[in-house]
Amino acid sequence: MAIKCKRFLQWVVCGGGLFLSLCAASRVPPLAAETLSEETLQFPLSPHSVLIYDEAFNNETDARLILFDADHNRKLGQMDAGYYPNITVAPDHRNVAIATTYWSRGGHGARTDVIEFWDLSSLRVTSEIVLPSTRLQGPPTLYHLAYSADQRFLYSHALTPAAAWTVIDLKTRQVVGDVDSDGCVQMIPSLTRRLTGICESGRLLSVTLDENGHEVSRQLSDVFFNDAVDPVFVQAIPTPTGVIFLSHHGQVHEVDLSTAAIKLLPAWSLRTVADQAWRPGGTQLGAIHAARHRLYVQMHIGGNGSHKEGGKEIWVYDTQSHQRVARWPVNTQLYGDVIATHVTADDHPLLILATSLSKILTLDAVTGRLLPVKDGVGQTPWYMVNP
Amino acid sequence: MRWEERFNYLTERATRTLARGLSRRAMLSRLGLILTGTLVLPLLPVRRGSVADASAVKPSDDPTQCEYWKYCAIDGFLCACCGGSSHSCPPGTDRSPITWIGTCHNPFDGRDYLMSYNDCCGKTSCGSCTCNRNEGERPMYRLSLNNDVNWCMANDNPNYHCSVSVVLGVAETAKP
Repeated sequence: MAIKCKRFLQWVVCGGGLFLSLCAASRVPPLAAETLSEETLQFPLSPHSVLIYDEAFNNETDARLILFDADHNRKLGQMDAGYYPNITVAPDHRNVAIATTYWSRGGHGARTDVIEFWDLSSLRVTSEIVLPSTRLQGPPTLYHLAYSADQRFLYSHALTPAAAWTVIDLKTRQVVGDVDSDGCVQMIPSLTRRLTGICESGRLLSVTLDENGHEVSRQLSDVFFNDAVDPVFVQAIPTPTGVIFLSHHGQVHEVDLSTAAIKLLPAWSLRTVADQAWRPGGTQLGAIHAARHRLYVQMHIGGNGSHKEGGKEIWVYDTQSHQRVARWPVNTQLYGDVIATHVTADDHPLLILATSLSKILTLDAVTGRLLPVKDGVGQTPWYMVNP
Repeated sequence: MRWEERFNYLTERATRTLARGLSRRAMLSRLGLILTGTLVLPLLPVRRGSVADASAVKPSDDPTQCEYWKYCAIDGFLCACCGGSSHSCPPGTDRSPITWIGTCHNPFDGRDYLMSYNDCCGKTSCGSCTCNRNEGERPMYRLSLNNDVNWCMANDNPNYHCSVSVVLGVAETAKP
């Protein structure tokens, strides 16, 4: 009898609940029908937008370039980038060029090397130029693909393993040919038609081109490092007048490329006597905010062979006095080591860090205060650049 | 300059001279011959100054572990986890004819060995057993000591799959 009563009460409660729900539903208007659409980007992009190079290391035929909004900690969109891509943003900041490799059947079949031009306002491919199958395939730097300042030429690094700089005429949309880089690597553009690479001899090689993209002269700098003693990373960090190269032991070699005669400025050290165990390391070693005269470098405690180890701290320097002005520890237990460091170029800069656990950390670049952390932006975010 | 350093120096100069005077295709062809030659000179007595902080890594004799002593300068996926072994490519992949080199210390017999690191090519990334060790590794301007670039670059299909570490011979050295 008790069981029957209980079941009766259950029916009453359920029935009553259903009745009340139907009454409430009848008073709430139904959702409006939705219209399927495509988002469009606000363009020009916010100065706190950043392009994140995801090499997709576990499936390298599927690399991506991710447009990330650091203000709102969210993805804005994506550009497909193929296999081991090299990327560069056009000087007018309207396009991104991606040099990449595709196969006709996924990872095999006929091979095509190509530069694809992506419109940054729509994130769509607008044109392409097919390349010889000689382009450099390796971890990203800012100088494996580069525009001339006037956007007349595009330069694509070749490595077969002979090193060369492939010149592409963007007026005729044709490959002009290769400049033999004599084993020197990277292609740092300067002046109107000059490319500079770093050499095993400890020198820089600079090649000047004519208006048709052919070599007219070349010059070697003085020796500024000894790779047997203290190798210099190839991941040059751009400055307003050229670049800096960091060495494995933390020397800073600044190069002024703004005049016809390349100037090697006196080297200085990231380390004091008290912190000789610390070294720079990772993929994108640091970044400079030109207006605030700040250099940010990811540092770790290491030794020989630790040069790809990510940073445990960000060290901040005044680029004029060469003094360290801050040390910002990173919770590497929680976030992983810092493998890439980038700073936005505006007056209220953000420092954006990519970690070995594929997290994106955004910091106030003035105070070092950690803002929200983003997970899952990409698989292997190895490099970042301002769009 | 010790004689082995001088040997290195002369070899490097000769390679540069060769590179300047040859077309890329011819260079590849001759480079292939040179590398083939290195395989029949397994006792080339080379020791780099930066054999490195091998002590920083706890050595292992398990070829599926990054700490395996032969992997002191591998940055990639271990072929031993991908259907191959520490010195053989997985089925259906092709070995790279060009390579980077290094010297690894074998803690189990106390010797240093000259290693040829090769990539296995023709399929997309294996994705298993990532290993990133860089003892004696150098930036790309020292290409023969660099493990960053895709060493499948000269293969018909340059798609990188995984990496192996092949013992070429004992790296004999005068102990200090």
